[in-house]
Amino acid sequence: MENTNTAAKREVISRKEFYKKFKKKSNAAEIWSRFLKNRTAVVGLIIFGIIVLLAIFAPLLVSYEEQAIKLDVYNRLQGPGNGHLFGTDEVGRDIFARIIYGARISLSVGISSVAVALLVGGILGSISGFYGGKIDDVIMRVMDVFLCLPDVLLALAIIATFGVSQINLVISIGLSFSPKFARIVRSAILTVRGSEYIEAARSIGAKDGHIILRYALVNCMGPIIVQVTLYVASAILTISGLSFLGLGIQAPTPEWGNMLASGRAFMRDEAYLVIAPGLAIFFTILSLNLLGDGLRDALDPRLKQ
Amino acid sequence: MEKENVKNTLEVKDLVVQYVSDNEIVHAVNGINMTIGEGKTLGLVGETGAGKTTTAMSILNLVAQPQGKIVSGEILLNGKDVLKMNHHDLRLMRGDQVAMIFQDPMTSLNPIKSVGEQIAEGLRIHQKLDKKDAMKRAAEVLELVGIPGSRAVEFPHQFSGGMKQRVVIAMALACRPNLLIADEATTALDVTIQAQILQLINELKKKYNMSMLIITHDLGIVAEVCDEVSIIYAGVVIEHGNLEDIFDHYYHPYTKGLFDSLPDIENRSAQLKPIKGLTPDPTNLPSGCPFHPRCEYCMEICKETRPKMRQLNDTHFVRCHLYDDTDERKL
Amino acid sequence: MAKPLLEVRHLKKFFNVAAGTLHAVDDVTFTIEPGKTLGVVGESGCGKSTTGRAILRLLEPTSGEVIFDGVDVLKLNKKEMRKKRQEMQLIFQDPFSSLNPRMTVSETIEEPLKLSGMIPDKDQRFTRVLELMDRVGLAERLVNTYPHELDGGRRQRIGIARALATRPKFIVCDEPVSALDVSIQAQILNLMKQIQQDMGVTYMFITHDLSVVNHFSDDIAVMYLGRLVEKAPSEELFRRPLHPYTEALLSAIPLPRIHNRPERIILKGELSSPINPKPICRFANRCPYATDICRQEEPQLTEVAPNHFVACHHVKKQA
Repeated sequence: MENTNTAAKREVISRKEFYKKFKKKSNAAEIWSRFLKNRTAVVGLIIFGIIVLLAIFAPLLVSYEEQAIKLDVYNRLQGPGNGHLFGTDEVGRDIFARIIYGARISLSVGISSVAVALLVGGILGSISGFYGGKIDDVIMRVMDVFLCLPDVLLALAIIATFGVSQINLVISIGLSFSPKFARIVRSAILTVRGSEYIEAARSIGAKDGHIILRYALVNCMGPIIVQVTLYVASAILTISGLSFLGLGIQAPTPEWGNMLASGRAFMRDEAYLVIAPGLAIFFTILSLNLLGDGLRDALDPRLKQ
Repeated sequence: MEKENVKNTLEVKDLVVQYVSDNEIVHAVNGINMTIGEGKTLGLVGETGAGKTTTAMSILNLVAQPQGKIVSGEILLNGKDVLKMNHHDLRLMRGDQVAMIFQDPMTSLNPIKSVGEQIAEGLRIHQKLDKKDAMKRAAEVLELVGIPGSRAVEFPHQFSGGMKQRVVIAMALACRPNLLIADEATTALDVTIQAQILQLINELKKKYNMSMLIITHDLGIVAEVCDEVSIIYAGVVIEHGNLEDIFDHYYHPYTKGLFDSLPDIENRSAQLKPIKGLTPDPTNLPSGCPFHPRCEYCMEICKETRPKMRQLNDTHFVRCHLYDDTDERKL
Repeated sequence: MAKPLLEVRHLKKFFNVAAGTLHAVDDVTFTIEPGKTLGVVGESGCGKSTTGRAILRLLEPTSGEVIFDGVDVLKLNKKEMRKKRQEMQLIFQDPFSSLNPRMTVSETIEEPLKLSGMIPDKDQRFTRVLELMDRVGLAERLVNTYPHELDGGRRQRIGIARALATRPKFIVCDEPVSALDVSIQAQILNLMKQIQQDMGVTYMFITHDLSVVNHFSDDIAVMYLGRLVEKAPSEELFRRPLHPYTEALLSAIPLPRIHNRPERIILKGELSSPINPKPICRFANRCPYATDICRQEEPQLTEVAPNHFVACHHVKKQA
């Protein structure tokens, strides 16, 4: 075995210097290399990357005013092809242009509202799961009350109170999703709360917040990450629901949800009107899901190789 | 090691078992031979990963599928090769001719069935008893292991740890198997309860002339209940003998190491002399003798050639290059 | 007799369960001198682990006093206690579940140093981690590996290094070797002994393995159903066990030898329930010597010979 009697002093050396000696990868590099080995996750990353790039570089590809907003009734309901990649909608706007501009809104609102939900629900759920007892009872009963209300209703109430704007949209969807995340995070925390390494952390004098973050949450991230990707999809659909009611993204701003809603009337004859935004939502969610799975595995050092 | 004139309950010949995963092969068992005579108890002693449990599972032809594969060898149970049996015969054999007791009694008991029903189940399958007779027999078997027959209607959670292990033993005994395999059966129990169970096992052995295979890491248990011992390391038997051979005249450096690692209860100030190093990685076994990297007697030949089993006397066998051309003890 | 490092007085830890009050630790009193090892033995459910955790306040004791180095740690507030933990550490039984699977070997060992703020300089702290790894015999190439990549013996070495990081005076070892193979067990025991000799730490060594405790401890305390039933220097306890339970426990050790095996005392029955125990001798229902008084009165821990404490009605009368 390794020699146990050499307890001599060592010369001061930094972690970085020392790791060089062993040609060890840094943790981030290791996570990245584990991620790359997962083929489906890489596919997810590529799809998501394409969607994000399209959204970012939309102004270089199409003109917002000319193609996504301006009405052109002479060219309404043109099928795909013919200068319009995905065809045109019921008022003659280019669907491709609207999809890539819509991606900007759907993605940013969808992801940031889930981030809000994760933050609020995560904190409440962590506290609830970690401490248990009375705090848990109180938080979870309140969450149960909110869970009884439909998401849209809750979001509606919030927007109705604070007015229509993109920020309010994010906050309202985020808050209405929080109880769900509180439940998810709480049950995830419960699976690791009794672990000995939590007790070990306490025995070396760690504070509760530190234990929750560095010991509890990191070890139960798996289900949370998967749920996050699913709820991004759900958030995009909620935005569209709110838009349909006139409380979400206001026409003529393109957004996948309101494109779906307005295309619905022509669905029987001009299916491409709903297929395009439908596919956009589908690919976003699929790629996020694949990405989430891959991320979960890559972050778990136990699943090496 | 085999003697053909004695009737043997179990003979294992050159058993090789591997587990194959995507990119590596786990060499769990690498040519194990063993024989258990009628009414005899063999102790199989080794550390974690030595292949003890895999050997036991192979006897029931229950090696985990699909990764596990019995590569070669023969396992003769009452003269019949277990590895050539079809599905139906295997089912009839398990529980009837061979029964197994596991370390954790809770995993082998069904929480939603009364213990009586669980014992009766085997009797109904193997002995074709009707429900009433089977339950009656179940109560009798429980009495045998020191539990009142009236408790047959109770459920596993109503029993304490030691009692549960008794129930598991009763289940194993119900069909009067020729061979009982106990895989670390008392490891999870407290010493005073362990003492009770070992006493029970000794009594039952005498009463039914049953053959037993005791798998353990505890030489104290071996001294208590076994007739013969096989010391196993990295999937091979490195020394085999009766209790005297192993406890008083061990020949193999690893066997010596095992004894030296144990605290001496009489001499509390004695230094422990642990075996240096770690148990070998079964995916990457050392060349030659698998013990050579940890062995204080290692010679050049040990690094290259795998030693053969040498017979020292009627009962004692050792697999070590120290004894390539001598029977004289060198430790 | 040196001034004790740790004095535990009338320590109690009760749990409220559906069926009543579970007396996990019931009025336990003992002392440990600096640099010595107290072995605590008993069977599962006797309260030995709970005692260890109550002393470290990982479980809040119901009542009692734990005087460590002159300070009653049960009276410290949260912040003071966190600081005190640098001096009182714990080594766990299961070297896998007690290590955070997401932390590498060096991160795990560094954690107590980081939390205590003892070594603020990053590089110096990392160097100290390397020194600790040397100390417990972990090769430096393992610095960036995760616990699941290592075997039980090495994982336990990580646990020991983590406990040693803040140079504690006192370490509770909760079955530190019972999950390990015999050959590895001996390596770890030797390491822990060496550390004690070099650093003078005091151990409370909790185990169910009597041959290990005999080898390792200076004094041994035997617990039964939450009560301390006997405490004596190791040699004395093994030579002259006075409590009938200790006697049975010692005779039940499976000795790895085939000659002069001692006569077994096989106890009848199993532990009775620690929930709402009656004020009688808790061992009475299994005791071969039990008489009426045992079923009427609870025996108290008494010093029957120098440093030899027993809680048994019958021993008291003999002495």
